[in-house]
Amino acid sequence: MGKLSIYGLEASPPTRACLLTLKALDLPFDWVKVNLMAGEHLLPEYLEKNPQHTVPVLEDDEVCIWDSHAIMPYLVGKYATTDALYPKDHHQRAIVDQRLHYDSGPMFIGTLLSLTKPLLFKGATVIEQSNIDAIADVYDVVETLIGDNEYIAGADLTIADFSFVTTICSLMVFLEPDPSKYPKIVAWLERLRQLPYYEEANGVGAAHFESMIKSKNFTIESN
Amino acid sequence: MSKPALYYATLSPPSRAVLLTAKAIGLELELRPINLLKGEHLTPEFVKMNPQHTIPTLIDGDANITDSHAICAYLVGKYGGAAHESLYPKDLVQRANVDARLHLDSGHLFARLRFLYEPVLYNGSTDCSIDKIAYVQKCYEILEGYLADRTYLCGNELTIADFCCVATVTSGNDVALIDEFKFPKVNAWLKKMAELPYYKDTNEEGAEELKALFKAKLAENRSK
Repeated sequence: MGKLSIYGLEASPPTRACLLTLKALDLPFDWVKVNLMAGEHLLPEYLEKNPQHTVPVLEDDEVCIWDSHAIMPYLVGKYATTDALYPKDHHQRAIVDQRLHYDSGPMFIGTLLSLTKPLLFKGATVIEQSNIDAIADVYDVVETLIGDNEYIAGADLTIADFSFVTTICSLMVFLEPDPSKYPKIVAWLERLRQLPYYEEANGVGAAHFESMIKSKNFTIESN
Repeated sequence: MSKPALYYATLSPPSRAVLLTAKAIGLELELRPINLLKGEHLTPEFVKMNPQHTIPTLIDGDANITDSHAICAYLVGKYGGAAHESLYPKDLVQRANVDARLHLDSGHLFARLRFLYEPVLYNGSTDCSIDKIAYVQKCYEILEGYLADRTYLCGNELTIADFCCVATVTSGNDVALIDEFKFPKVNAWLKKMAELPYYKDTNEEGAEELKALFKAKLAENRSK
């Protein structure tokens, strides 16, 4: 197999989604930290790997792949012994794909980044209540998506769970899901925490993210 | 065997991405139009079928699929055959490249278009600020970069990423203009896409309709 390296930031949810995938597949890899706050993603060496200068990037020998939602299917397709994490069945795969795009659009970029970008990169000290309310809207959707299933895309663990748990752990820093309103989300989170590699691949990084955010001493204002 | 059914609107860029894909692979769909402005996506029947009440929604036998990017990939995989495999290649590296561009659409292109359009179309907003427009135009820089050395977004062959991105980009380029000197490659790509025989009926008309609607709604909101 190729030499795998993941370039990213532990605090970054999509980086952690890839770490969860690598751990789930029990793949050896190098972990190269990219300090976004110091602009390391804008250095020429990084731009050569990923002209869109986002994290994470997966390097597989000479090949560079970016966007966590593209990296995870690639890893499963290339290295997994079964298709469980990203089913080949057309319908099952489409459900996972829909979940991944929900993370890309409304959840990660729409809701989380609209909170973190100003705080972490633009020196904002105030966030608006409407941004917090948007998290509750996301939780409403996720509670519905889980439905009667154990996992985000159905009866079994998939890469969609990795995207969702990493983003939601970060959303939780701003708004904890109320167990009386979101019992399925809370149960699902507990289920994911039981994964043997969870703490290393997500727990540690989620804690870093939390301390980064809390160190900003922001206030919430209604508009 | 019955045709897959698509709940859609010609106004909706993601719906048009699915329609472009179906045309490309020669697949006939049973078309079920939904009028978003009249709230037809919020009826109990529609919400029962799709609790997230989004369009497009595809019903294919027992399969109920939402999100245009997932639907396009599904249609090519299930119905495209070997002849149309290049639209969503099986090679893992090529596929990852297409996936990354599909997520560029959901995370950036379409997300930013929604951010500009939805408050005006649905919530009576008068906000068409320079910031929101510039936010959309920042994406053109990303696209220009990808098109620097290739005809289409993922290489020299058309993929579903081109369908998803062109439907989005052509739905906002009246307000978020695509400067021909700053973005020559994006402009060339748009011209190339417009050459597809099914493009005019399947994307151009709906895109123009949406752009006209946005302008009309903005004027209406401002006159209040």
